[in-house]
Amino acid sequence: MKQWTFRLFNDRISIQLSARWLVITGIWLFAVAAVFLLSLSSGSNWIPLTEVFMQITGRIDQHSFVVETLRLPRALMAILVGAALGVAGLILQSLVRNPLASPDIIGITSGASLGAVTFISFGAGVISMQYLPLSAIAGGLLAALLIYLISWNKGVTPIRLVLIGVGLSAMMKACVTFMLVMSETATTTKSYIWLTGSIYAASWSDVTSMIWWLLIPIPFLLVFGRGLNVTELGEDFSVSVGIRVQLQQFIFLMCSVMLAGTAAAYAGGIEFVGLMAPHIARRLVHRSFPGLAVLTALIGAFLVLIADLVARTVFLPLDIPAGVFTAAIGAPFFLYLLFRYRNQ
Amino acid sequence: MNKKLLLFIVACLVSALVLAACGGSEEESTDATESNSGSSAEETESAEDGTIEVEHAMGTTTLEEKPERVVSLYQGATDTVLEFDVTPVGVVESWVEVPMYDYIKDDLQEVTYVGQETQPNLEEIAALDPDVIFASQIRHEEIYEQLSEIAPTIVNETIYDFKETTNLIGQALGEEEKAETLIADWESRIADFKEKIVSNENWPMSAAVLNYRADHARIYVTGFAGSILQEAGFEEPIELQGQNEEIVMLNDKEAIPQMNADVFFQFMEDTPDVQKNFEEWTAHPLYENLEAVQNDNVFTVDEVAWNMAGGLQAANLMLDDMYEYFELEQ
Repeated sequence: MKQWTFRLFNDRISIQLSARWLVITGIWLFAVAAVFLLSLSSGSNWIPLTEVFMQITGRIDQHSFVVETLRLPRALMAILVGAALGVAGLILQSLVRNPLASPDIIGITSGASLGAVTFISFGAGVISMQYLPLSAIAGGLLAALLIYLISWNKGVTPIRLVLIGVGLSAMMKACVTFMLVMSETATTTKSYIWLTGSIYAASWSDVTSMIWWLLIPIPFLLVFGRGLNVTELGEDFSVSVGIRVQLQQFIFLMCSVMLAGTAAAYAGGIEFVGLMAPHIARRLVHRSFPGLAVLTALIGAFLVLIADLVARTVFLPLDIPAGVFTAAIGAPFFLYLLFRYRNQ
Repeated sequence: MNKKLLLFIVACLVSALVLAACGGSEEESTDATESNSGSSAEETESAEDGTIEVEHAMGTTTLEEKPERVVSLYQGATDTVLEFDVTPVGVVESWVEVPMYDYIKDDLQEVTYVGQETQPNLEEIAALDPDVIFASQIRHEEIYEQLSEIAPTIVNETIYDFKETTNLIGQALGEEEKAETLIADWESRIADFKEKIVSNENWPMSAAVLNYRADHARIYVTGFAGSILQEAGFEEPIELQGQNEEIVMLNDKEAIPQMNADVFFQFMEDTPDVQKNFEEWTAHPLYENLEAVQNDNVFTVDEVAWNMAGGLQAANLMLDDMYEYFELEQ
């Protein structure tokens, strides 16, 4: 198979891409773009694509509110959330060498949920809701640090990380349930919607601040990304080829937390994407991390984008949380892939 | 080894802190609602040029002229707007009897539904081109900016404080006198009820609003029904007096004595699960000892008027029920 390798900055960054990757990524890029445009056109009333273009380029102004204030930030937010969740899952799965790992399972999402539900239960009406994302990110980060700290015993082994993550996650979920039961009905309803995950009410300021958060992990992923493929072969082997396993593990864990925590902060507890997007990507291309990451991001974006599109158009005038549909749409596709490639 | 011990202690401390935070919450939240009820509608400054300024939970909003097209995003506002003889152009769906409660369905035949109270459809609202939107902070804080771009948005802090709802709607519609009349009417009805209930041989009485669910029971101490009962002179449930509770969840039948009061007003969904749970609770030996049960003062009330609607009309319907239960002349 045809492959190209790019080496930059004195070999500090190296990226290997194949022809197959190029084709498949192209297809997914096209798919995401198509759903994105469809999202801008559809809603309560259908706006033809030509008018959407004219609105965005400023040649007409009649759809300014619907297209530019409501649909555009919401579609962009769906893309960012899906991409972040997908890549967070990919990193975790490679890191702990376990295909079942995902931010929802090892406790990052439940940490963020606990942060958010605590905020909704005690802060609603007292502190402005715009600080909810901060509380969620802090929750996710604290959870990850706690998991890492408890797993530490002259280094962290992936299996302990997962087990302790699962344990802490259960504990935090119990706390969330406790708070749901104890708080008054109005706040409980709000918490439930948050836990389901929804892209509703995305604004431009949400989109820009989310982009800033997502920019932080990218340089780390570029520099350390190639090491991740080696770690998948086992810790001893990684050490023998000169990888600082513990440092790399910590950095990747933090990157995953940043991505998953930010996604949870702005869209709530959307499940499934972090688990499935990387699996779908792996079925389609071979495992060179940078290429895989780009494809996973596209697939995650596609899943959330289409889930939100269905959620806000199929049951009009109802606008339903997108988290209800991510699994409903992603799971059949994943099962199809498993079936199609069952002999590989 | 020591390190592990240390970590274990840290973990314990963290969970203890979290639990403590959970426990502390309730007092905080009751405090919050109490202070809320004090900060009712501020004065409206009607400027000379005909604009209307309304101060509300999320700021001050200016309306250029008396609004005609009204959108209501919570049940209490939908109910109360109708009292001003204004038919909203858009409302959110009701919780039961979907899409709208039977008692106001006829007044809202032409209305457009804009989704659910928890996640109203912004595009639908924008398409209605409203002049004013009534929202609630607890539900719609995050979309306040977007709503304000569609139309001036007036925000009530809670969803059940019907007097605040009446005041805010009155100000926004430029009908403050009407609002004052409506509230004065309400207050004279309450005064009348208080005067007549005294003749009841058991007065003063404590009252509990009970809600049976599929797996537990709740006592609503404040909230919509609870605050109206207190306004009408009823005391809090006997075991809960002076505790400043909002809602008490009873997860175990051993807690039945907490429900104790001279009168019960109960409501529940009409599903087999709930009915079964209700029968189990009421068949429990502890239930027999409660004052209301012994005096045969248990009333099953309409959950829409008593809990789900939260507007001025609903409050009046609730008061009608109370006259009826205690066999008082209006």
